[in-house]
Amino acid sequence: MALDPQSRIRFNLEGAAVLLVDETPMGMSILVSVVTGLGAKLLYRCSNVEQAQEAVAQHHIDLAIIDGLAPSGAGYDLVKWIRQNAREPNCFAPILLTTGHTPANDIVRARDCGGNIIIRKPIAPIVLLERIIWASKEGRPYLFSETYVGPDRRFQDKPPPAGAGRRRGDAEAAPEATAGDEAMDADIDRKAGQAS
Amino acid sequence: MSIRIVVPKLRLAQLLRMPGGLPVVDAVANAERNLATLRPTCEAELLALLELCEQSFATLAEAFDDAGLEKIYAIAVRGIGGGRICGAPAVDTALISLCDLIDHLRTTGRYDRKAVGVHVSSWRLLMGAGLPEAGAAAVLDGLQRVSLRYAEAPRDD
Repeated sequence: MALDPQSRIRFNLEGAAVLLVDETPMGMSILVSVVTGLGAKLLYRCSNVEQAQEAVAQHHIDLAIIDGLAPSGAGYDLVKWIRQNAREPNCFAPILLTTGHTPANDIVRARDCGGNIIIRKPIAPIVLLERIIWASKEGRPYLFSETYVGPDRRFQDKPPPAGAGRRRGDAEAAPEATAGDEAMDADIDRKAGQAS
Repeated sequence: MSIRIVVPKLRLAQLLRMPGGLPVVDAVANAERNLATLRPTCEAELLALLELCEQSFATLAEAFDDAGLEKIYAIAVRGIGGGRICGAPAVDTALISLCDLIDHLRTTGRYDRKAVGVHVSSWRLLMGAGLPEAGAAAVLDGLQRVSLRYAEAPRDD
């Protein structure tokens, strides 16, 4: 993912609508300084979840940079809300989560909320740019299930290790599982390029 | 369980490739220039947070004080990121160490008021101008050792 800070490769953020969420004036100022330096012009600045929900409901969002809002972790709930409740295309917007610190009991919440990636503060401009470019790459599937909505968190397409089943319980369940796939009634509906 | 998989077209991907824009090197330089202008306000905000933190530490109880720890955590976590802007990146590391420490204490139920105090006073020290880099590194090393001491749950034996 490393991007050379001296690179002459061009990118264009001018037309992107960017949602920024951070409750501290300092955090917001830092985000705005970095994002405008990188060329973004259309920013929706929100200092709380309610403002952000309103912005997402009213405007097209191309990119969201959302603080986890520790210690409450309300930022993670906001990301979940965007993934589950926002209309298309906002529900698919790349979301970068920022955090100064994630308490141990919030790590699973941060992982499962549906953000594309978590960036630890302090934020360096080159790192933010790398993550924006990475998160914008097309082809990453988004999953909609009862327990998770968001980008596929698997980055490697490898089979299970030799001799291992797909799940921990497969070894015990193996005799019953030979009957077919009734046990796994996942209705996988791959719709490449449906949303725009 | 039903799972639906969608591969969306992201408008951001198309926008980034539009003609114009900025070379990476210029964009990063612009961003760093913008950040440099924030230095005075960030310093003022970090100092205000530090004062709040010192006040909260002064009222932190001698016995396990979960509410007091939570309050200090909430102050410290808001400051993370400001140190880099103020030219004192060690402050960010110290604040992360303080948040780690408080998280460990609250998770394991152990308590060490002194360890919290060392972090708060180090924050003040690292904010000051004139601390040599090696001195700051030594302070951070000490703080991280203190935090790590509480990273594991206490043994029963």
